[in-house]
Amino acid sequence: MKLTNMFKRAALAGAIGASALLAGCSTVNTEVAQTPDTINGMKAGGHEYILTVTRPNQLHIVDTETNQLVRTCDVPGIFGNGGIAMSPDGRIAYVMTNKWEDVYGFDITNCEIKFSAKQSYDNVTVKSFISMAVSADGKELYTVQNPVRKLSDRFETMAPRLAVFNTDDGLNAKPVRSFPVDRRITKIGSMQNGEVILGGGDLKAINPKTGEMRMIKALQNWDRAPDKWVPPDAFAMHTMGEHVGEFIMPYFTIRWNGAPGDESQADFLWGHVRIDTETGKVESFETVPFEFIVFNWVTDPNDKDVLYGSFNQLSKHNLKTGETMGVQAMDHTYYNINMTGDGKTIYIGGTSSDISVHDAATLEKIGSIQLTGDMSTSDLRLARLK
Amino acid sequence: MNNNKTTRALLGTGALALMGLAAAPAQAADADAERIIRDRCLACHTETGESATPFSRISEQRKTPEGWMMTISRMQQQRGLVISPDEKRTLVKYLSDTQGLAPSETDGLRYLLEKKPNVVESFDQLLQETCVRCHSGARIALQRRTEDEWKHLVHFHMGQIPTAELHAGARDRAWFDIALTNVAPKLAKDYPFNSDAWNSWKSAAKKDLDGSWAMTGYLPGKGNFDATLRVTKQSADDYAVAVEGTYADGTPLTGEGRAVVYAGYEWRASLTIDGVKVRQVLAASADGMALEGRMFERDDEIIGGSVKAVKGNAIAAVTPSYIKQGERKVITVSGNNLKGNVKLGSGLKLISVVSRDSSRIQLLVEASSNARVGAKDVKVGRVSANAALAVYDKLDRVEITPSESIARIGGAGGPIPKQKSAYRAVGYTAGADGKPGTDDDLRLGYMPAAWSLKPFDEIAKHDNDIKYAGTIDRDGIFTPGDAGLNPERKMSTNNVGNLTVVGTVQDGDSSVQGEAHLLVTVQKFVTPIIE
Ligand code: HEC
Ligand code: HEC
Repeated sequence: MKLTNMFKRAALAGAIGASALLAGCSTVNTEVAQTPDTINGMKAGGHEYILTVTRPNQLHIVDTETNQLVRTCDVPGIFGNGGIAMSPDGRIAYVMTNKWEDVYGFDITNCEIKFSAKQSYDNVTVKSFISMAVSADGKELYTVQNPVRKLSDRFETMAPRLAVFNTDDGLNAKPVRSFPVDRRITKIGSMQNGEVILGGGDLKAINPKTGEMRMIKALQNWDRAPDKWVPPDAFAMHTMGEHVGEFIMPYFTIRWNGAPGDESQADFLWGHVRIDTETGKVESFETVPFEFIVFNWVTDPNDKDVLYGSFNQLSKHNLKTGETMGVQAMDHTYYNINMTGDGKTIYIGGTSSDISVHDAATLEKIGSIQLTGDMSTSDLRLARLK
Repeated sequence: MNNNKTTRALLGTGALALMGLAAAPAQAADADAERIIRDRCLACHTETGESATPFSRISEQRKTPEGWMMTISRMQQQRGLVISPDEKRTLVKYLSDTQGLAPSETDGLRYLLEKKPNVVESFDQLLQETCVRCHSGARIALQRRTEDEWKHLVHFHMGQIPTAELHAGARDRAWFDIALTNVAPKLAKDYPFNSDAWNSWKSAAKKDLDGSWAMTGYLPGKGNFDATLRVTKQSADDYAVAVEGTYADGTPLTGEGRAVVYAGYEWRASLTIDGVKVRQVLAASADGMALEGRMFERDDEIIGGSVKAVKGNAIAAVTPSYIKQGERKVITVSGNNLKGNVKLGSGLKLISVVSRDSSRIQLLVEASSNARVGAKDVKVGRVSANAALAVYDKLDRVEITPSESIARIGGAGGPIPKQKSAYRAVGYTAGADGKPGTDDDLRLGYMPAAWSLKPFDEIAKHDNDIKYAGTIDRDGIFTPGDAGLNPERKMSTNNVGNLTVVGTVQDGDSSVQGEAHLLVTVQKFVTPIIE
């Protein structure tokens, strides 16, 4: 198989579809939480919900037991990128809105806004490219800020930084600390040890108390022979892995087995770096063939060697061997994927207005959840309501 | 993203305004223009106190009229500038005249101004990879700036398109740093604000362009034409234009309009020819005796072709530009003040003069069967068109232009019309080495061809692109399919396709084919003033 740069671009740049229907649909998810105490009528005790954002600007909460939409909250401001970060108790959903500038924290049991932050100030426009995470203790919210000063007759691009907010600060919160970080960070996550993982050109971790930074895994600045490897193209917009407690960073690379540039003898590969957010353990793989165009990947909770990815297809891979375990054609392009903690059900969303529900064992489609608008590039997050 | 339609409409108006009616007299205009800058721009821009570069951001860049139009339109649409259409025209004229480009600084880049479709660009790797992704490279190469101004431009991109550094082709490198520290200084060297070319052009006396011109050109669907262009000066750089001529098939052509000349040579005319609104984007030569560029329909820029006009005693064109050994046919010589004897090269015999006036001579010519293969000069009295008529023995190769092309689906009740594409066949004979495709091939010129389409590759064949993507007519004009999803197609895709355009040229009893690649793709939702 040959893959030119152009193909790669066309595939990853994918256009955003459009259509909107409202319908109901449900499937059975057999496992029931042991202590189904409820909060504001919503099953809690670790009950799982899938969250996403649609145009014009709504946060939707779907019950993974019934696959029914249980609540829709209006998000202030103009649609952004639909980024979502969950509090560890699964109750507060922080949503990036207003053209990637403002954050609102919603109590998902009643849509109440518990937190807000406008990142832009004075003549400085501040954007965050999804990159948003909540600390393991729920007390801090992190964003990577990309500021541009808009002077009266010129723009001035400023250095990006990690901004730290106290989630208790409520409405109109301001950063309590900030530290310089690299450019082009799109995906961040927090670890049990308090560090924040920064996913950009390289994978780094920063201590949000001191700003101290360490390399987790060099990617674009890796130390490999340039005539053997193409520096990785890591395009990771969405953070996920909450169902198994991991942070996963996919990238694309080419291994030249012959002369550099000789595509006939090259391997086109997906690389994956996985970080266990509990222990900090790092694994990395370069096994999955790039013939699968995928936006996002999730790990099977029951067998961590197994990975699922989606875009125009849903596919299942063995990460150790590179073996393709199954492929299911999708009815349109989907940018995003997530799954339940029991590893039984896969949710595929983004792009259009329907979430496609699949059986993880067979990959077969077992349901569809219609939302009121397009998800575009929105996150698809799993919340475990405690 | 969601107000695409508005953007398009506004930019469209901007482009028209540029072509619209002209400027006030020169000196008054200069004073006027500076007053407009003070009144309209200094709300945000500042006076620097430097007499050579008095206004911040404005005074340290040079660009084409379209370039200035684009910047000022952005000031209006995105920064909040309030300016009347008259003031805007005055300012674009003034800035293009005083901070424009020398003719030589536009060499090889005029396709952008001429809106010539399907030009494949190639710039050096650094620029190509860093910058030529969202827009043409010519948009960049048609500007001159100080290093600071190139740097401001990089910062502008980051504020204007916050995700610029995250797109494919940018996120795998330190895009912003590369643009700021590598590209900007290189641009300052390659495209400097101060240049000898501009300094000497700016101070050179400019020729008036009024008078009677012999114009020749080509329009897809209509063919070659020759015409007289009568240009009458209204005020400085402002001309009334009347055109009268004939297409090769004898159909008459008449029209009139108005032209404005920027920077002493950038001719921008809008005319109505036989009821159709057309634009001319031409460059006047330094001696003021030739105008060259492209003419196209206002509402369908693809439908256009090269035009050339000459003043004084001159031959503008010889058509057709080829004759085969042993062939007898009518050759038309068009030009200005065509007086005196006609002389053709050796091996070519003038059988008779079919018709003749001062702008057009039709000759019945015969090439002897052993006439030497090569391009011959055609002389009328004391004027000569060098290498204007090619004698050939055999048609060996046909090239289809453009060789790489894009058409876009559209219409079907949607807001965006179909974007067609148009093709021509160029014939070559192999030259002395007998091998076609080598440097010594002799170009014969444009030849009539029969047109057809075929799938470009296996995938296109499998997806039956040929059935959906569009059709090509006998004039080589491709019309793409309707916009929108087609439920008949796999995954309900659009009527896109990957095709090969085949042009077949007859040469006696044999025929020679040439091929071009055509990608039929989706609509473009924003059409900028300059790509
Ligand atoms: C409301 C404020 C405002 C007004 C009024 C305004 N500008 Fe600007 N101008 C800006 C800003 C902000 C920038 C930098 C961002 C950009 O380039 O769009 C800028 C940039 C420019 C640039 C540099 C563009 C480039 O490509 O580097 C030029 C030239 C310019 N302006 C010309 C003008 C002219 C001429 C006028 C008056 C007719 C004008 N501006 C009026 C705000 C303004
Ligand atoms: C991500 C897409 C993108 C990339 C990459 C890009 N440009 Fe642009 N460029 C734009 C857009 C959008 C405009 C604004 C057009 C307008 O005025 O609305 C623009 C405008 C310009 C202009 C005209 C500005 C004016 O007002 O005169 C120049 C010159 C230019 N770009 C140069 C560059 C250079 C140099 C680079 C590489 C460093 C580059 N561009 C890379 C999108 C891009």
